[in-house]
Amino acid sequence: MRAILVILGVVLIPSAVFAADQKPAVAAPTLASLLDAKDKSGKSIITQEERAYYNGLNDNLKELLNQAVQKEFISAPAHLGTLLSLQLRPQKMELLLKNNCALCHSDPEVQTPEDLFSVAPASHHSPAHMNLKEIVEDVHFRSGLSCAGCHGGDPTADLGHDMVKEWPGKGRDKNRAWIVQFCARCHSDPTFMHQFNPGLPTDQLAKFQDSPHGQALLVKHDDRAPQCVSCHGVHGIRPAKDPQSKVYAQRVPETCGACHSNPKTMAGFTLPDGAPLPTNQLAEYKKSVHGQALLVRGDLGAPACNDCHGNHAASPPGVASVSHSCSLCHSANASLFDGSKHKQAFDQHNWPECSKCHGNHDIAKTHDSMLATGPGALCGDCHRQFAKADPKCIPTANYFHATITRMDEAQKRFTAASEKLAAKGLDIEPISNQLTDLNDALKKSRTYVHSFSRVTFQQVAAPGEEAIRRTDGLVDKARGEYKFRQIGLAGSIALIGLLILSIYLKLRQLEK
Amino acid sequence: MQSGGSRMEGLSFLKNEPDKNGAEPGRGLLGWVDRRYQVTPLLEFMRHKQVPLGSHWMGWYYLGGITMFFFIVQVVTGVLLLMYFQPGEATAYESIHFLTTKVPFGWLIRSVHSWSAHLMIISLTLHMFSTMMLKAYRPPRELTWVSGYLLFLITLGFGFSGYLLPWNKLAYFATTVGTNIVRSVPFLGDWLLLVLRGGQDVTINTLYRFFAAHVVILPLAFVGIISLHLLFIQRQGMAPPISAKVAPRGMKFFPSFALRDVLLWLACLMLLVTLAVFLPYGPGIPGMDWELGSKADAMAPAYAGIKPEWYFLWEYQLLKEFPPHLFGLEGPQVCLFLIAILLGIWAIIPWLDRRAARNKPSPAFSDFGWAAILFLVYLTLMGWDIGATGAGNDMSLVQRSARVCAWWTLAAGVVMIAFRSWWFEHRWFVLTGAALLQIALHGLMGISYLLAGAISAGLAIIVIAASYFMTSRPNETGTT
Repeated sequence: MRAILVILGVVLIPSAVFAADQKPAVAAPTLASLLDAKDKSGKSIITQEERAYYNGLNDNLKELLNQAVQKEFISAPAHLGTLLSLQLRPQKMELLLKNNCALCHSDPEVQTPEDLFSVAPASHHSPAHMNLKEIVEDVHFRSGLSCAGCHGGDPTADLGHDMVKEWPGKGRDKNRAWIVQFCARCHSDPTFMHQFNPGLPTDQLAKFQDSPHGQALLVKHDDRAPQCVSCHGVHGIRPAKDPQSKVYAQRVPETCGACHSNPKTMAGFTLPDGAPLPTNQLAEYKKSVHGQALLVRGDLGAPACNDCHGNHAASPPGVASVSHSCSLCHSANASLFDGSKHKQAFDQHNWPECSKCHGNHDIAKTHDSMLATGPGALCGDCHRQFAKADPKCIPTANYFHATITRMDEAQKRFTAASEKLAAKGLDIEPISNQLTDLNDALKKSRTYVHSFSRVTFQQVAAPGEEAIRRTDGLVDKARGEYKFRQIGLAGSIALIGLLILSIYLKLRQLEK
Repeated sequence: MQSGGSRMEGLSFLKNEPDKNGAEPGRGLLGWVDRRYQVTPLLEFMRHKQVPLGSHWMGWYYLGGITMFFFIVQVVTGVLLLMYFQPGEATAYESIHFLTTKVPFGWLIRSVHSWSAHLMIISLTLHMFSTMMLKAYRPPRELTWVSGYLLFLITLGFGFSGYLLPWNKLAYFATTVGTNIVRSVPFLGDWLLLVLRGGQDVTINTLYRFFAAHVVILPLAFVGIISLHLLFIQRQGMAPPISAKVAPRGMKFFPSFALRDVLLWLACLMLLVTLAVFLPYGPGIPGMDWELGSKADAMAPAYAGIKPEWYFLWEYQLLKEFPPHLFGLEGPQVCLFLIAILLGIWAIIPWLDRRAARNKPSPAFSDFGWAAILFLVYLTLMGWDIGATGAGNDMSLVQRSARVCAWWTLAAGVVMIAFRSWWFEHRWFVLTGAALLQIALHGLMGISYLLAGAISAGLAIIVIAASYFMTSRPNETGTT
């Protein structure tokens, strides 16, 4: 009997305990049930747009979604809604659905705020870089590198955080120098990069190491110095041609200015002469002819910071290389300057070439008055101070100024005159042709000022002077033609009037 | 007034027999011609031909002659233009450009041709309305009216076809928009468009057929019909006025009237050359501007707010006032139907105006003419965006423009009624009142143009029917 009780005890008690441990069975949610789920007020959780997007998906993507639901990477209708609300193109959606890291980290029910990818990070108290919309736009994500490309691990595994060795553990927020090396693992490897973008350079690290930015970061261990993510961002890195990229031409000034306009960040940095590094470059650039062209007119050919300073090797151009930066675009002016007397004089004084007269960040639109020689004028002031001995300088500058001013004034005068003559019905085609020649000569003359040679300048100005002479003649001729028309009209009217008068008198005589 | 009998006597030359007065053929050149062609009766006819005078202003009689003068100018300058114009994709624009810039006086010929075209339409319109107001269309001159009406339509055809010939950008797009209207003709629309354009789109083929129409088809038709028109006038004489108060008298056509005609023609010539020299591209009003501009380019974007010539502006505006769909038909179809009815009524007025046919004043038809003027003026002003330049499709600006145009037209209407009642002693203003009511409802109250028109027309019909039943005859107090 005791034996029977023992046997029953051995068999039944564990069975009862086991039975008691069993919770009521809950059916795992299906994709269909998530799509049809309703909130407490009876309103559908999946919006109409999300539903329409789902209906438009191909069978493969629907199956991937189904699998994600079955494996419980997607377990809540709100989570499904978040993924559908991205409205991704099929290729991107496939990448997302095959990426278990992104699926799991976008589920608000299982993630803490600091680990949650959200379409609206602020409302979930997540960090700004955990923006799911940005992540799916990231060039690395789009190339299939996904989270594991940097963070390691296996995105196809059901669970796990098998980080690669390179990923620093603690302290990575304090010393950012590791980032450049980390990115360079791939970006300095031509063979690896060739798989994704054969046109992309792989010398960024080498350039950066030698640049003042790189020196500050890697040698002086100054954490204020920028590294890759400072300019390119963290998640959501886009190609430089993408207008939303932080390094897109029109956004470069603000990106650089984020540090260089901040006196606090720039405190302690100095120019080669020991003066504190100014922080007004961005403000000056915005006002300059280049800033206006790029930022206001949207002319992407206009230079941003990196076009003169370089990007990964960003450095202030030295005195000798300023003109080289300018000559990338203003080649004619630069070559004329190189062959001029000014070149030697500037070298003697160790003056930066272009910026001596035109400035650097605040380059204003040039004006013919710069050639004037009176007090306060650019040429005159400089020459009175530094080239007193040469009697030819001031008369040459005066000659340049007078010739260009004359051409400019003539061009305006003839344009106004030809508009008036055209309205009177006169043929202005010959005048327009001459005006084209004059404009051409005027533009060239303004460039050839940089030869600082009367003879060279004269060669391009002479056709302009000739065009003025011819246009003067043509305008006079057209005015004469108009006068002839008026005189002809007056004569005709007189004749007709005489006829009218004689008919009137005849009528009176007949009817008397 | 010249009696019908004496007129017929004057026309005896048509019988190709000697004058019954027994005038003998003279000597010299005239005698030589007369012996062969019996011109003495013709000369006699001309000697006796008289122009009737009445209580009305003589000036209206000269408008037909002035219109003919402008037509002659068109023929002469047109032939001169033809000597240089080369229709063709690569030559049409270029030849006109060459003519106006390089050919001596080429600019003058083109400018005079353009000015004369517009002045001809102005004088023709005035001629038509004066004929309408004076009831000169009444029997036996119904066909004179109809032939004049056809000449008016042909003149509009001249304007439309000539506009494309310089093959410039403005002309190209205006013609594209203009020809597109025929698409709304029921059943035949698409076919008519093909015929008009010589293809689906306006191409150089369109220019070829517009050129043929402008220099051959329309001139032949015009000359044929104007010959009939003149023959009718010579045969029947000018219409005497309906006036019971002033005894009819006459003015000798030769030399008194003819010399006055010549005098006016010379004054018109003076005006024409003055305008051509000082405003060679027109007065600068939209729809009255012929600066050559750039060459036609089918690929170029169309002008924003492109408008037709001023004399087509009322139709253009009327089309805009129609909704896309009405009575199960397309809006433009209904609009074209309405325009066809209005033009049809205008054509058969001599048969509709039964009182004028009995030589009695017909105030209702006078009022119809004045109402038509207000109708055209209001639509034209709106077409010009008066009060809101460049209104385009901005509804608030369109309404502002309608309000300004309504005020102007209402003011003109009030002045018109006051003048008519004081000067002509008119007392019948039902149709003018209806036109002004429609303008006020649309322009000032913001009611849709068609609804305003329906309300006004309905009220006018009620008033006319009521007065008909109350008096059994229309009011006769008014005079023409």
